[in-house]
Amino acid sequence: MLKYILRRLILAVPVLLGVSVLSFFIISLAPGDFLDYYRLNPSISAEQVHTLERQFGFDKPLVVQYFKWLGQVLKGNFGYSFVYHIPVFDLVWRRLGATLLLSISTMIFTWGIAIPLGIYSALHQYSFSDQAFSFFAFIGISIPNFFFALLWLFMAAKTGWFPIGGIISLNYDQLSFWGKIGDYLWHVVGPVVTLGTSGLAGLMRQMRGQLLDQLRQDYVLFARAKGMPEGNVIYKHALRNAINPIVTMFGYSLSGLLGGAVLTETVFGWPGMGRLVIEALTSQDLFLVMATLLLSSLLLIIGNLIADMLLAWVDPRIRFRLR
Amino acid sequence: MKKVLLVLFAVLIAALVIAEPEYAVEDYNGVPGGTLFLGTTSGPKTLNPYWAQETSSTDIIGWYSDSLFRADNKGMPNVPALATKWWFSEDGKTVYFQIRKDVKWSDGEPFTVDDVYFTFTKVALVDGMTANGPGGAMDANDQLPTVEIVDDYTISFTWSVPNVWGFKWVGYSDILPKHALEEAVDNGTFSETWTVADLDKIVGMGPFLPVEYTEGVRVVLERNPNYYRVDKNGNKLPYLDKIVYLIVPDLNTELLKFEAGEIDIYGPTAENFPRIAEQAEEKGWTVGVGGPALGSNFIAFNWVNKDPVKREWFRNDHFRRAFVYMLDRQSIIDTLYNGLGSPLYGPVSPSSGFYNPEIEKFGYKYSIVRARLELKKAGFSWNPDGTCVDKDGNPVEFDLTTNVGNNVREAIGNKVVDAAKKLGIKVNFTPMQFNSLVQKLLGPDYDAVIIGLTGSVDPGSGWNVWRLDGGLHFWNYSPELRPDTVTEDIWYAPDWEKRVDEIFRLQTSAVDPQERYNLFAEFQMICAEHQPLIYTMNQNYLYAHKKIVHLANPEPNPAAGTLWKGWAIWKEAE
Repeated sequence: MLKYILRRLILAVPVLLGVSVLSFFIISLAPGDFLDYYRLNPSISAEQVHTLERQFGFDKPLVVQYFKWLGQVLKGNFGYSFVYHIPVFDLVWRRLGATLLLSISTMIFTWGIAIPLGIYSALHQYSFSDQAFSFFAFIGISIPNFFFALLWLFMAAKTGWFPIGGIISLNYDQLSFWGKIGDYLWHVVGPVVTLGTSGLAGLMRQMRGQLLDQLRQDYVLFARAKGMPEGNVIYKHALRNAINPIVTMFGYSLSGLLGGAVLTETVFGWPGMGRLVIEALTSQDLFLVMATLLLSSLLLIIGNLIADMLLAWVDPRIRFRLR
Repeated sequence: MKKVLLVLFAVLIAALVIAEPEYAVEDYNGVPGGTLFLGTTSGPKTLNPYWAQETSSTDIIGWYSDSLFRADNKGMPNVPALATKWWFSEDGKTVYFQIRKDVKWSDGEPFTVDDVYFTFTKVALVDGMTANGPGGAMDANDQLPTVEIVDDYTISFTWSVPNVWGFKWVGYSDILPKHALEEAVDNGTFSETWTVADLDKIVGMGPFLPVEYTEGVRVVLERNPNYYRVDKNGNKLPYLDKIVYLIVPDLNTELLKFEAGEIDIYGPTAENFPRIAEQAEEKGWTVGVGGPALGSNFIAFNWVNKDPVKREWFRNDHFRRAFVYMLDRQSIIDTLYNGLGSPLYGPVSPSSGFYNPEIEKFGYKYSIVRARLELKKAGFSWNPDGTCVDKDGNPVEFDLTTNVGNNVREAIGNKVVDAAKKLGIKVNFTPMQFNSLVQKLLGPDYDAVIIGLTGSVDPGSGWNVWRLDGGLHFWNYSPELRPDTVTEDIWYAPDWEKRVDEIFRLQTSAVDPQERYNLFAEFQMICAEHQPLIYTMNQNYLYAHKKIVHLANPEPNPAAGTLWKGWAIWKEAE
């Protein structure tokens, strides 16, 4: 197993390298560079723009720029943000908390609801509640996130039940520890519901379909014929087989933890990575974009690895193959 | 014994008086205390005054940082700050600043002339140390000033010729604490200091200091206990204990927060203004309209276009004047600004003290008939099918561009297209992404563009735009600046352009304010007559605030907004 993990990690290096080459050159294909805002500033002379070009290294050919950057990255230095003048990862860490809080809350919400509902729907196939859950789930999946977010804000503004965006209240500092947690939860409901409803339907239908598939298998019939208690048949045998693709999906969803909520973050004014990346893209803050892209790729790789390991854990057949 | 005590007491008082810092007394009568809540759509990017570019950063920096003087509420440099007075030498080449005595930085260190000397000789006037560069301090001979410490409280700046613009540039520059920044400056890490990650290291002379910045949430500033201003009752300023900027995702959320009472002062958009004004009475708000904004959008034609036919058109005064008449400014003001704006026909806003009302005698207005007349004067005629052709029979057609997402610029573009169509001119209007636009502007390919530049009260700030060799002289780039695209044989500058160039060189040496005013008055007349850039309109300055907030500015306007003299703003308890 350890050898397998090690092999996967070594294979990740060329993948990341490839990602970095592609992203670096594709970003650079976009017209202009970070200094374009300086070029249109009446109080900055043309000579000054040239001085800055030299300072930022824009005067060098693209290939040279890339290898200079790569050399620094190998030394552990991912460069400075052009806009903020601080190391890019410092910038990312400052935003990471908010994004992770949101995406993990969303994950708990989505998975915590979708899996039980999927199981319930499978066990009560074509019943009224099955149809009703599907109906609402599909409404959720078909409303675009940004629109749902706007509807939510509209509702919040009209009723005053929920805050109009943001992450904490004005009086956050004066709150007790539990008050702070409550305040956070009160703010996170909107974005979580927005993000959660769109992911809910897919997951729920997956779970339902998989479980139904398994319930039609011969071994289920056999187990039932043998007189095994229904609970055992479903939860110990059928569900265990059905959960396999769901685990893979879980691994993939780990990679979306960082960048999965750009629109929702923007509408709710959630101070996460999404807005940082959008701003970095529009201002062509190259090193910052590169750092976030690499981080997302790394998470994708790790997420896949975790998914595979979880699969091996739930499915002895795979464990056997890995050996 | 009693006498001795009295004498001792008097000596003690005298000693105290001598050690007393040189306070600036402000004519305000407020009540100390309270927290002011403001809104912003974007947090600061850096708090380093010499590397900040966006207003989201400079707004915050303006609270903790201070300069030798500040602007009065007409935008003129008349409010003493770190300097108590300033004067020119007999020949006008040297300006002296006398600095405030015995005042302290926010960390308790004394403020001295060395701080000023350090700021200019080690940072502001040094190439590569700042984002904007020292270009603004150069005189007509492109020389930087020499800085000298005259005595413990006086510092002088000497140019090769008198330099008024340089004097202002120096006076408005942020003064840095030598004791806190010398190390970073010496080891070359100045641009990476005082970022949003090291708020706790910031030392300032301004009224408030940033103490907390939570990304995307808020910026908190607290009063500087060592601030050097007092009110007429002897209260130490600033009045407010705290200023909190709430970071909101967009202007609509800011509006909602203002309506909900979470924000105290708000700058409404023209679109929102009627809605705000309607509720003002009931909600206890003061709303107001200041003068027209300082910056404006304009249309520029490329005189050094690669196509000689188009060059000919674009250089023709009558051709450009036709476009001045063609654009229905009022209808754009009515639809986009709710009527809260005014048309503009020259480079200086009527809000500026330098505005020359004489340009109104040209009588520009919206008139298709006059536009047709100007085109005729320019030698254009019309084919039987209505197509406008030049004297060689070339049909008039050109591209017009701007940046995507700016609805005012897009509206101007669409208006131009419609009006030109009526005159048989085909204008292909395609907005493009900002960076592509900038790249295009720097090359020879573009025909015409709608764009705006940041404005200021003093037209002298446009030196980089109006001088023939200016980096933003993009309608007629000089061959010196763009040798690869503009060759000597296609470049042409009419005499009046040369005169504008001369004015922008002379104005820096015009120490006498009247002389300087006259130069800029002439500049405006030239621009109004020849219309090198076709100006469009300005939105009026709009503001709203809770009545319990007492602004220091009696008349907020584009040159000095609601937060002018923020140290004297006070707030009644809610």
